[in-house]
Amino acid sequence: MREVSFGQYYPADSFVHKCDPRTKLLFLIAYIVAVFLAQNFYALGACIAVFIVIAAFSGVRFSSLLRSVKAITFLLVFTAVLNLLFHSGEKVLFSWWVITITEEAVYFTIFLAVRLFLLVLSSAILTLTTTPVALTDGIESLLKPLKWIRFPVHELALIMSIALRFIPILTDETGRIMNAQKARGADFETGGLIKRVKAVIPVLIPLLISAFRRADELGDAMDARCYSGSKVRTKYKKLTFGWRDLIAALIVAALFAGIVLLRIYTQAIV
Amino acid sequence: MEAVKFEKVHFSYPSGGNVATDEDIFSSDASFSLNGIDFSVQEGEFIAVLGHNGSGKSTLARLTNGLLTPDSGKITVLGLDATNEENLFNIRKQVGIVFQNPDNQTVASIVEDDIAFGPENVGIAREEIGKRIDFALNAVGMSEYRHSTTSRLSGGQKQRIAIAGVLALKPRVMILDESTAMLDPRGRKEVIDVVLKLNKEEKITVILITHFTEEALLADRAVVMHRGEIVMQGKPEEVLKREKELEKCSLTLPRPIKICQKLREGGLHVQDALTSETLSDEIVRELENIPVTLPAIWEKEEAPEQKFGGEIGRVECKNLSFTYNPASPFATHALNGVDLEIGAGEFFGIIGHTGSGKSTFVQHLNALIKLPTAEKKYKEKRKKVQENPTVLTVDGFDLTKKTTDFKALRKKVGMVFQYPEYQLFAETVFEDVAFGLKNFAEDLSEAEIEREVKEAIEIVGLNYEEVKNRSPFELSGGQKRRVAIAGVLVTRPEILVLDEPAAGLDPLGKEEIMSLLHKLHALWCKTIIVVSHDMDEIAENCTRAAIFSEGKILAVGTPKQLFERSAAMEKAGLDVPFVAKLVNALKARGVEIDCDLTVSDFIEKILKRAKTGGAGMRLSEIGGQNDA
Repeated sequence: MREVSFGQYYPADSFVHKCDPRTKLLFLIAYIVAVFLAQNFYALGACIAVFIVIAAFSGVRFSSLLRSVKAITFLLVFTAVLNLLFHSGEKVLFSWWVITITEEAVYFTIFLAVRLFLLVLSSAILTLTTTPVALTDGIESLLKPLKWIRFPVHELALIMSIALRFIPILTDETGRIMNAQKARGADFETGGLIKRVKAVIPVLIPLLISAFRRADELGDAMDARCYSGSKVRTKYKKLTFGWRDLIAALIVAALFAGIVLLRIYTQAIV
Repeated sequence: MEAVKFEKVHFSYPSGGNVATDEDIFSSDASFSLNGIDFSVQEGEFIAVLGHNGSGKSTLARLTNGLLTPDSGKITVLGLDATNEENLFNIRKQVGIVFQNPDNQTVASIVEDDIAFGPENVGIAREEIGKRIDFALNAVGMSEYRHSTTSRLSGGQKQRIAIAGVLALKPRVMILDESTAMLDPRGRKEVIDVVLKLNKEEKITVILITHFTEEALLADRAVVMHRGEIVMQGKPEEVLKREKELEKCSLTLPRPIKICQKLREGGLHVQDALTSETLSDEIVRELENIPVTLPAIWEKEEAPEQKFGGEIGRVECKNLSFTYNPASPFATHALNGVDLEIGAGEFFGIIGHTGSGKSTFVQHLNALIKLPTAEKKYKEKRKKVQENPTVLTVDGFDLTKKTTDFKALRKKVGMVFQYPEYQLFAETVFEDVAFGLKNFAEDLSEAEIEREVKEAIEIVGLNYEEVKNRSPFELSGGQKRRVAIAGVLVTRPEILVLDEPAAGLDPLGKEEIMSLLHKLHALWCKTIIVVSHDMDEIAENCTRAAIFSEGKILAVGTPKQLFERSAAMEKAGLDVPFVAKLVNALKARGVEIDCDLTVSDFIEKILKRAKTGGAGMRLSEIGGQNDA
């Protein structure tokens, strides 16, 4: 019954799949910074080009990627319209009644939309090509220096991986409870806001009760398997960098350098 | 050496027993305390701890590896004092527990990562962890699933992974705390086979906590618990014969022994036997010695065959197909051209493994899954004549049309899901039961609502005045399930669909639920459809049944028609009821018994045969077989 949606691992055997999760995480951060540093169409074009290359080598189907954008379409259109109408500028392109659209607003809107798209799509590539376990391992490894200031890195990573592991179970459970209440005549689809919020209660309460029960049982199971924090703990999976990671690093470095150069030597339009 | 030793152990939960344990959900009385338990397990032994829900058997498991601490008394585990906090880490390294719910004991999303969790916790080196994962997966027969996603495995597979996760710590004692209670028969067999192998080959001490008396027969020793005390102990064959005492502990006899006892009551001197083969040998031997006197109660005429007709309560389904996640890599064809007719007034069984499409099918019956042609978005394509159009008519409603009143349909077709107590939510039992009624019939007066709710609560066997103002969460597991069923019954459905209504209940609870369903069938609902993977349950209760396999219907018929072809059933990976096995074993020995595969009818026919002096039996052949 599970829907394939944003954040779900897409099993494949691609270049991007085989990269170290740390590389992918750092790549994503650098890439997003680069996207927001891009000030004109050359820079933005470079970002898009890099994205297309990465997507092509990720083995992820284009339709799966698009599905991840679907969730934010409304947000995108909403902010785009607001910006188009209210972004201040001098070169007026169109004016009618209280509506004024300026050239600056048009550029700004385009940049905003493309940036948001790239942001979501590139994060989707990360989560689609990296198992939740690898992802938390990567985060744990990257955050390791924080242990010096007694930040509970291991615990945080464990919480994340357990949360990820229970997402499909709780999704299924939500579906089951909703079906059970629907069979008793509950209506989740029609009515005003208040009615809909009220309709959620018969789903939310059983779900919460079940989540607490599961947490309790999981705690016992972890205790029984000798869990006692990070003191003596070893790690089975060791992350290693390979040649793919070098290539990825080179790509992102080149993009970054290019964008910085473009920022210095070409004119900004936003 | 003693692996586990309890001396005068007392324990009670601080808040009067209202603690969320695995047992809590189903318990019939909420006292899991122990009253002076003396108990020991030898190393290498395989013992079964039996008891109804709430008898304290899970408390025993939790005390053994220090998840709980006793109020008084001494617990020694592998020579270590389990009441001393400092020993707990060492005890837990050597005493593994596998819990009941397969979903709630897996930490990681990938199989090998989950198995690595235990060894990582005790600080084992990386290379060694790899070897341990190999060993553990191999031992449970799951090596090819090393890189699989845990949430996509079947229940039996998940439990085997949980066992592997415990095995990777190389324990000397393994406790299975009702680890088979939530599994289907196939999963249950997978787990039990693995446990037996570990006990024999790896010499691991096994403590199997269960309420399935059949499982206990495999153990070296059976221990029966009741109200926090050990009431019986001994060889399983000995202990599990004592019907009266077992009944007092809310346990039932294993089916073969029950049949033996019934036959003895009828005058056949059969010895207790545990398998269909040995039992049929017994019966054949006895049939040769024609008994002299028999009680006359077995002289009953056969009931005439029931006829089913009418639109109300009828289900007609032709060429029904359904695909989850169409056009994605996870697309699964859950139903593939299903044709099925369920007559009004039937007690119909739906059999199949997890993933056979049976749940998808029943969800179509009250439009929880709508046909594409019934969706709001659907537009009729012009003049496209389908060769084999889908037909789905339930209780007179045409489910292929979007103009159908689906709300009215859901009122008439009640659906009780698996573990229905998990859907309770309201502050009082009254409110919860009334929920459906208020949704369906908004114009009812307070008095009418009260009357309907009262009747629904009473028909499921609860005392209305006693429970109406209580919180449903205060009730015991069995009562919760009754309240949940009342919440569906309150709209007086004509068809009642139940998905595994007896799942997770102890044997007595199961019998109570099944007799409740028969009462409902007689008084309240015209047609009852039960999804089950318990073949004995189907054989005992249903007029007809359908077997689902891989989205298709393998066979439809009376239990007798279905289970006669036991070879075909076993080929489809399905078990057959014990009585069917027995009938087949007797047939192989030259005794043909023509019965409807319920225990009572089987006994009746055998005794009738015995009384008529084994007429129709080819005595010469049996003699020949016995000589050989």
